[in-house]
Amino acid sequence: MPESSAIETVGLSKTYGKSVRALVDLDLRVERGEIFGYLGPNGAGKSTTIRLLLDLIHPTSGRASLFGLDTRGQGVASRRLVGYLPGDLRLSDRLTGREQLDSLARLRGLRDSHHRDELCERFGVVLDRPIRQLSKGNRQKLGLVQAFMHRPDLVVLDEPTSGLDPFLQGEVRTLLRENADEGRTVFLSSHSLDEVQHVADRVAVIRSGRLVDVGEVETLRERSLRHVTATFAEPVDPSSFGSLEGVRVTSVEGPRVHLSAPETAMDALVKELARHQIVDLVSQPADLEEIFLELYREGGDGR
Amino acid sequence: MSYIAVIAAIFPSIESNPQLDNLIASYPDVLKSLFGIAKGGSITSGAGYLDVELFSFMLPLLVLVLAIGSGARTFAGEEDAGRLELVLAYPVRRRSAVLAKGLAVAGEVLAVCAATGLALLALDPVFGLDLSPGHIASATASLVALGLLSGWLALGVGAATASRALAIGVPAGFAAAAYLVNGLHDLASWLDPFRFLSPFWLVGSSPLQNGADKSGVLVVLLAALAILVAGSLLVERRDLETP
Repeated sequence: MPESSAIETVGLSKTYGKSVRALVDLDLRVERGEIFGYLGPNGAGKSTTIRLLLDLIHPTSGRASLFGLDTRGQGVASRRLVGYLPGDLRLSDRLTGREQLDSLARLRGLRDSHHRDELCERFGVVLDRPIRQLSKGNRQKLGLVQAFMHRPDLVVLDEPTSGLDPFLQGEVRTLLRENADEGRTVFLSSHSLDEVQHVADRVAVIRSGRLVDVGEVETLRERSLRHVTATFAEPVDPSSFGSLEGVRVTSVEGPRVHLSAPETAMDALVKELARHQIVDLVSQPADLEEIFLELYREGGDGR
Repeated sequence: MSYIAVIAAIFPSIESNPQLDNLIASYPDVLKSLFGIAKGGSITSGAGYLDVELFSFMLPLLVLVLAIGSGARTFAGEEDAGRLELVLAYPVRRRSAVLAKGLAVAGEVLAVCAATGLALLALDPVFGLDLSPGHIASATASLVALGLLSGWLALGVGAATASRALAIGVPAGFAAAAYLVNGLHDLASWLDPFRFLSPFWLVGSSPLQNGADKSGVLVVLLAALAILVAGSLLVERRDLETP
């Protein structure tokens, strides 16, 4: 019998009331040792999926398992293997960071605090002040520590780097990579492609409760559009840009040309643009909504 | 506690005032019934005085407010604040969480009731109240039973429904209705059959003079336990509210 996947869902659905379909027929398989990005705009069903996996809410139909353990019937056993960072982290305001971590460790029956201390040092966690006095970033660090402190086989992170400065975001990515290298699995939910694409191996895209696409990050990145605005010293003929693979000229205003281009085409595009004299060049990532629309158009079959 | 001390300190001036009994005897039955003045009871004895001043209304009210607040806060309140999201994602059974919280509520109720009982024991010789230690113990036990019932009802309703408003409203409304039934059933015969549903009636009134009804206290405690267990089972069936 093959080794069970870290996460497996079969036809997992959640409907609120009669008509609000928060999640529709999700079939998903996350293998052990991979960093799996779960991408979608706010309200797409990301947190619903996670809360189903942790048995905080019950599915309307379908089922889910973690390492072969059913999330309903073997909830406690399956959650023993998981570390979780909620998207909207609420801690006990009156406790200090240390007291909060102690109480959570006790809840897990965790006695060895060695790894926890290491993590606290690494992230510079403020331990001796009441949590109500901490900034969002400092609370988030406590959340990260409690999610990793027992070296879980699966870490489920809902928007983990919100409120963290860029240095710490990098540190979190390093931590995720280390975990994956040790054979642990990471399930990383985010609305930001940038947060996911540099660290995840595979990515699922979800929209309006439905899985749109699952694939290698590279594939998604190819579709990751940039809006480019080039201002030239004098008006130029834009047709040579539009003939590049994936590049579209969206509008021309005198010497200023607006284009959209996938990240993979940027090198060729910039070289082509540089054949003329450039006054200014602006490149911005398209927001995820646009990328999703693109996905829909390009044969996302809306399973 | 200071309230109990003040009430007890006033007693010597009441005791020296036998006309008070005559005054009270002339009160209409409705008032006597509502104030918990026992038939043939005397307000100028220490036990009778404290039964009226403390055990007929004030102490049960204080204990109930504390118990209901604690029971509603500990689950529905925590869920409302989004703090259960993380804890219940841990390898913890929800029903164990409810039972553990029930234990915490019981701890608070027991602490307050025990302090009340000890205060009465300590004040007894100081102000010449002439109380029976056995009656102090059973009066305390009846307070514990009332407190646990309302606290665990608040906890159970909160666990079953996720609504803090219901967790406060249901036990508070029940207590108010039960209090009135107990006070008035003698006078309004249509209320009489419902007296069995009133925990105040079950534990008995004027506990310092008569002692509490032991089997009544037991019934109330068992009902409280049943409610707690029901809440811990119902919480497994529902979705945790999104913070």
